[in-house]
Amino acid sequence: MIELFYESGTLIASGLPEDVRPPEPFLWDSRTRQWRAPASAYREISLSLRGSSTPYRDRAAAFEKLTLESRVAMEPRPYQRDALTAWRRADLRGVVVLPTGAGKTAVAVRAIERVGRSALVVVPTLALLKQWYSILQDAFGDSVTVGLLGGGYHEITPLTVTTYDSAYIHAERYGARFALAVYDEVHHLPAPKNSVISKMLIAPYSLGLTATPERPDGGHDLMPDLVGPVVYHLTPDDLAGTYLAPYDLVRIPVELTAHERHEYAEADAIYRDFLKKHRLSVRSPEDWQRFILVAATSHSGGREALLAARRRREIQAGAMRKGATLENLLRQHWDDRCIVFTKSVEEVYALSRRFLIPGITFETPARERKEILDRFREGRYRAIIASDVLNEGVDVPDANVAIILAGSASHREYVQRLGRILRPKENKRATLYELVTTATGEEFTARRRRESTRGIPV
Amino acid sequence: MLRSEHVMARVSRGRVVPHRLQTSDQRVLDVATELCELYATHLGQPRAVLQNALTEREEELGPHLDARRGFRIVRALAKLLEERADWQPPTAADPYTIRTRLFELAAALPKPPATEPGLLEATTRDDLLSQVASETALADPEFIMFADRQGAQVLSAFDRPEPEALVLRYNVAQIQGVLYAARELVVDLGRDADARLVFHYVKLMGLVYRLETTSRGYRLHLDGPLSIFGGTRKYGLRLAKFLPGLLLTTPWTLSAAVEWKGRDATLELDSESGLHSHYLGPHERESQEPDEVRAAFVRAWERAKDTGGWTLYTGAEILPLPELKTALVPDFVLTSADGERAYLEILGFWSERSLIERVALVRDARRRGHHVLLAASESLGASKETLSEAVRGEVVSFKNRLASKAVLEALDHA
Repeated sequence: MIELFYESGTLIASGLPEDVRPPEPFLWDSRTRQWRAPASAYREISLSLRGSSTPYRDRAAAFEKLTLESRVAMEPRPYQRDALTAWRRADLRGVVVLPTGAGKTAVAVRAIERVGRSALVVVPTLALLKQWYSILQDAFGDSVTVGLLGGGYHEITPLTVTTYDSAYIHAERYGARFALAVYDEVHHLPAPKNSVISKMLIAPYSLGLTATPERPDGGHDLMPDLVGPVVYHLTPDDLAGTYLAPYDLVRIPVELTAHERHEYAEADAIYRDFLKKHRLSVRSPEDWQRFILVAATSHSGGREALLAARRRREIQAGAMRKGATLENLLRQHWDDRCIVFTKSVEEVYALSRRFLIPGITFETPARERKEILDRFREGRYRAIIASDVLNEGVDVPDANVAIILAGSASHREYVQRLGRILRPKENKRATLYELVTTATGEEFTARRRRESTRGIPV
Repeated sequence: MLRSEHVMARVSRGRVVPHRLQTSDQRVLDVATELCELYATHLGQPRAVLQNALTEREEELGPHLDARRGFRIVRALAKLLEERADWQPPTAADPYTIRTRLFELAAALPKPPATEPGLLEATTRDDLLSQVASETALADPEFIMFADRQGAQVLSAFDRPEPEALVLRYNVAQIQGVLYAARELVVDLGRDADARLVFHYVKLMGLVYRLETTSRGYRLHLDGPLSIFGGTRKYGLRLAKFLPGLLLTTPWTLSAAVEWKGRDATLELDSESGLHSHYLGPHERESQEPDEVRAAFVRAWERAKDTGGWTLYTGAEILPLPELKTALVPDFVLTSADGERAYLEILGFWSERSLIERVALVRDARRRGHHVLLAASESLGASKETLSEAVRGEVVSFKNRLASKAVLEALDHA
């Protein structure tokens, strides 16, 4: 009788008579003298063996049945229900495209409940790892322990969340344990490195989620092979007005104080003189490296230029009035739910220390992160501070005020960040503040960012 | 190990040449010394302080070393020093409890905590900090609230290397970095190479091998389980970790197919490349005793009047055991006048676990029809019966020295 085994991301067929070959895509591996197939062929192989009524013993699959019932009462929105139906019609294999803020995770929670077997959720960032942990813990915490793999966690349970990076390394050890693979921000999967992940999983069912399925490198063509075809597609325009809350954008220019302005002008002059003298321009991180290189090796004025450049950046980032303005806004919105976005992780900790408001960064442990967000949702915390790391659809429940303390200019980042506070809530009008230091580089960044948000109602 | 961003190599005529530093270059040694010094002087200091110091130094040291790549060289050297550093939390208090208490107190206020005391007698930030300080008897809650961050960790130990050793480690690390992008490694092992050691690392890294005999020895193709479905870079990291193992023996040459900056290229190396391993060798190498037993056995064999037409070879021969993903490299090869071939494996003084693994290899080799004799010292502890049961075959047991007669008797037996 044919026996199927799982071994390091592959399937092994053994116990075959000499002249019999197992079904496609098994290959004879002369290195180890075994029939071998990628683990992802498990579904195809099982179906083929069953179809030809070949007796076989499955010693590969190590996933279990789970009785999952979400304890969070969620009335799915009509399009979420449609997405799930479409996925089921496609034999529980495919990609669901929904705009940021439309509740992709709710679709996944339903899918996991529906399949009722061990599931692995793969996400791109540590922030998302922690976010999924709390969502799954909220939904299924009664019936299973949610496991984490990545970011210093190594706990594998029948319902585990991992990152693409960790899955790349560890999937070959645990690839037989899951029946369903959920890929969040699935446009990361076709990357050359990540595509190996799905090959190492036997998971016969898979669900991909994204707002932006296209990849500039054309990698999305691989998607049907890796997770299945796009089974449901909804654009932001389809939802605008109905499900996305309207909001006001308030831009607050922060002027430097007289003292800062003086210091800034001085540092700026030294810095620019040096650039001019050496015919340099700084527009990208590589340019910046180039500047440091030239300055560090230059004998006349290099050291001064370096110091000036650093001082200039410090003034820009730490503008006194920015802190004061933030303090003002916090006072004004102390009875709202307010989330502050900063440019750097260090700024989160500095502001958290200054205002005694909890901060969330990629460093925050999963359980504490969940606790902070839960308390924020309950109103026990009035405001939280988060860094740029909270990208790609990180969920901020019920925030109605957001304050951006200058971020980097990126189209998608900005759109998704806006999407985050756009949680539908009755009679809620969200406010988005953007604090930009004037007469410094940040002004340009803010303009560039706004220009790239065409199509989004501002 | 370096991060990919530290790895530097150039491609010339389809060959990747990893970046290399010369131990004879005084500037290089100066930079290495200075970095070691920087770590050493930061003992007891927080990580963030050391990191700032490093950033500043790298801006000064880097360009002096290499106009274009100096930064990266300095960063890479620092990364390798980081592996020799130990970090500890700066306080025994639980920062999580402290900050949570502060956040809760602040959120319970009707207005945000004031940064400065005002006329309205609102609670200030300092009020909250002193309240928590008195609750917990901790002097500085403001510092402790985030003392569990990486940057706050304190350098508790640093295993300072010699500057030359750091540079040598750097050269291997750069090659390892190129190997991250390798799909396959082809190693040509000379006859005098320690094949047993090589297979130890093949197995340890979970690599899959294919073996060919060459005129000079053996050729090993190394990759991983998934590789037969098209080359993958998935096993690059393991190939990189295998390399220092290979560096422990000689002679060999290797070539690796790598994808470098989107182009297919080859990395070529040999045991004369002037590279030094930082691995200490297999965890438990046998004690010296079996080596003496082997040497004594060779002497006894040479003195023996009659060897029954058998000739003894010490050259390593590899018996591939593909299903076990390793190979048996017996101590001796014996050939008879009429072309019969037998192998002799002398069991050393291993731990129980290694002994069981070793015995499994012999059993598997026997199952494949190889004529493997096992010799075991009585002081090994295992009884002759248990062993012969375990290997499904005869065991030659000896007291202090293995006599040629005992081996010849066993050969005739078979």
